[in-house]
Amino acid sequence: MFNYNFRWNQALNSLPDMLQGALVTMEIAILSMVIGISVAIVLTLFRLSGNRILSAISATWVEIARNTPALFQIYMVHFGLGGFGVHLSPYLSLLIGIAFNNAGYLTENFRGALKAIPDTQTRAARSLGMSSIQAFQSVILPQMLRISFLPMTNQMVWAILMTSLGAVVAMNTDLYGVTSDLNARTFRTFELFAIAAVIFYVITKVITLSARLLAARLFRY
Amino acid sequence: MKTSFFAFSLLAVSAVAMPAQADKLDDIIASGTLRCAVVLDFPPMGSRDENNNPIGFDVDYCNDLAAALGVKAEIVETTFPERIPSLMSGRVDVAVASTSDTLERAKTVGFTIPYYSFENAVVANEKVEMATWEDMKGKVVGATAGTYEAIWLEGKVKEWGVGEFRPYQTQADVFLALSQGQLDATVATVEVSEANVKSGNFPGIKIVDKAPMVPDYVALITLREEYGLINYMNLFINQQVRTGRYAELYKKWVGDGEPASLIVEGVYR
Repeated sequence: MFNYNFRWNQALNSLPDMLQGALVTMEIAILSMVIGISVAIVLTLFRLSGNRILSAISATWVEIARNTPALFQIYMVHFGLGGFGVHLSPYLSLLIGIAFNNAGYLTENFRGALKAIPDTQTRAARSLGMSSIQAFQSVILPQMLRISFLPMTNQMVWAILMTSLGAVVAMNTDLYGVTSDLNARTFRTFELFAIAAVIFYVITKVITLSARLLAARLFRY
Repeated sequence: MKTSFFAFSLLAVSAVAMPAQADKLDDIIASGTLRCAVVLDFPPMGSRDENNNPIGFDVDYCNDLAAALGVKAEIVETTFPERIPSLMSGRVDVAVASTSDTLERAKTVGFTIPYYSFENAVVANEKVEMATWEDMKGKVVGATAGTYEAIWLEGKVKEWGVGEFRPYQTQADVFLALSQGQLDATVATVEVSEANVKSGNFPGIKIVDKAPMVPDYVALITLREEYGLINYMNLFINQQVRTGRYAELYKKWVGDGEPASLIVEGVYR
């Protein structure tokens, strides 16, 4: 039994606020991806370095990021660090939490991508007189990013959806936060969340499609 | 022949189309169970004892209502933002969940007369210099998302134009953040504030002042069109006060003293 009369006008009036929230959601997702990719490259280098401590850092990061709930990670950034007197705003807590998660997953993606690149390429590059850094930077890295490009868009979509977890750290300016705030005020739950779902769907769809177009252009052989 | 067939089918259709309408009140009595949505991280209104059983003012209130209806009570735990979805999707029959009766919300759900009323207190971190509620201006303040006090406080922060408002998901998170110093101050019901200051779970917090809001009258809610049930519950609330049960519950869960007044001066109902 679903006993509810849908009335859209109140919810539709809130559309501008929700779109504003969608912008914040996109901003956090994009920033968290930029940070996540940069950190993941560093973690991948740590793993390749052969240094035991550095690869342990990288392994621990990946293990925690991939094997605990993102909700927990974000909560710990806010309240866990808060217990040690490090007070981050909801925005920063959410951004760092998602970036942490992204970095873990992307490091694994990069590892898979590296496996797909034959070792012989590094050897060929080195025998041409490149240093190991040069070989990584100009031969391996571009291929690694190319192979893992589509998994990265997956992670981007995931980052957008993860912004809704910001509610646990009192985030109230992103799309989910704005929606739940309006919900508390008006109790038009189903209308508001239906609209939010459509906005989320459109954002993620646009991102996957444009990533595919971009990939088709960038990676033409 | 044709006419009698037509008359017969008309009769058959009208018999199908107009059964005696059973409303929610009938449904509850017939099913033998009253399902109440109760928020269980909101002591003393709702919480869990050491055996994880639901206890509190709202839990007892639901049990009383079920007893009056002659049915079994079933407590369904909910959060503040989930009250409406669980009502609308038919998971519960009523919400006994300290719901503030705002006009905005009454466009969506059906409210009874108030069954309780809260006063709100301003609670601050001890390290923050605060004397009155107005010192919250420009500070980082927060409250439980979806509550009356959160809506009020967010409005105030917007009005002041300085400071920051943070809505945490649960009352426990608000007091954790306050205790850690992530929040400078919060507004919460006097009952909850006193319970949390006394419990010692959240060191470093103090009650500063009363919040200057009109008393937060809370009511039972059900679907907006269930007049039969709303009517019944209105009488039930009246009887709770009349029979002294309300005072008894107040004493049991909130403490000694005059039970919170449910009367609005100078107006009916």
